[in-house]
Amino acid sequence: MDKNYERDLKQWVDEKLATLALAETWQLDTERALARFKERRSRKEKKLAIWRWITVPALAIGLCLVALPQPRLSVLRFCQQLACRNVNSPLVSANVKTLIDGQAAPDFHLKDAWGRDVQISSFQGKVVLLNFWATWCGGCREEIPAFIEFQDKYRNRGFTAIGIAMDTEGWTKVKPYLKTSKMNYPVVLGNDDLAKQYGLGSMPMTYLIDRSGKIAATYVGLVDRGNCENVISRLLEK
Amino acid sequence: MDANSQVVDAAVSEESPFDFESTFRAHYGRIARIITKLVRDPARGEDLATETFLKLWRHPKAQGESAPGWLYRVAVWKSLDELRRQKRREYYEGLLSLTRMDPTPEEIRRTGEVQERVRAILAVIASRQAELLVLRSHGFSYEELALSLGLNPASIGTLLGRAQQTFRKEYIKRYGQEL
Repeated sequence: MDKNYERDLKQWVDEKLATLALAETWQLDTERALARFKERRSRKEKKLAIWRWITVPALAIGLCLVALPQPRLSVLRFCQQLACRNVNSPLVSANVKTLIDGQAAPDFHLKDAWGRDVQISSFQGKVVLLNFWATWCGGCREEIPAFIEFQDKYRNRGFTAIGIAMDTEGWTKVKPYLKTSKMNYPVVLGNDDLAKQYGLGSMPMTYLIDRSGKIAATYVGLVDRGNCENVISRLLEK
Repeated sequence: MDANSQVVDAAVSEESPFDFESTFRAHYGRIARIITKLVRDPARGEDLATETFLKLWRHPKAQGESAPGWLYRVAVWKSLDELRRQKRREYYEGLLSLTRMDPTPEEIRRTGEVQERVRAILAVIASRQAELLVLRSHGFSYEELALSLGLNPASIGTLLGRAQQTFRKEYIKRYGQEL
């Protein structure tokens, strides 16, 4: 590059940049600026401290809820009870009472996904876990693996689980879910009458029926797995 | 000095031997001038200069021997950001001119001023080139420029030459050759 050109260019740019002059009246007070800086720093420090007090415990609680299964289930159970209690489904009514322990389980006669008859009275002599569920209900889906396990574990001792799907869309919605979740117990499609008979006010809802066909335990919301298994064992021993 | 700032000072000095106050006193004035020259408003310039030091306080890794260079780099970034924000605002206000009254004589005078043109060019050319030109115009040596902008000292001359060419080209493209 030509030396003269370089010099001219530099001079030209310097002249332009020199126009960015400051007003002569402007006086800088560094000490005042330092005091202002300290004040802002102190405010920020306070904000950070408050933020730490909020975020650290919140993160710790969140981590516990996500990582540990028991607290997660408790929260899910609570949320389900809140969310599903007045769920907008014609099959689930908020103004019904659940059956009381010792009451005879109302009989029903329905067909399962493969067209086989399922009648509650035909299970007399067996311990029955009757679970009202739906594919749209997150809590219901959460507890199905436990019922599959119970079915595997206690089938030979006179136990069976029965699922009653309350999806208004019918088998089109339920059948694909049965395949993906590998449910190993009979599932029937519920109806309004059955929901009323069993006092279905929220979902999930589960009844344990003893060998004589009477209600032995009722779970509104997610079942307490340990408690449910204990009751099943106790009923099977009778 | 209030109790809180004393606590903060103590905490800072316990964490590192970095002397924040001395650094502030040594560089605040120059940084405030660099920023104010670009953003035009002295109050905003001082505000941004304080923000620059707050940023240094939040970045303990930058506190040390290289802190002055880091401060000047951040100061130029901040002022160029502010300058671009101002230009964007002016552009959008221009788009809404149908709903506005005619520009004030002050606005007309300012648009015609060379320093406003220089600011406009610095806002549109590449950031690195604008940083080089701004710091150089404040008397930074090649070594200081290299240190502040994290560049190889041997390439400063070339980069500065390119920045000057870009500046002039853009200026002439926008405003024509001035006598």
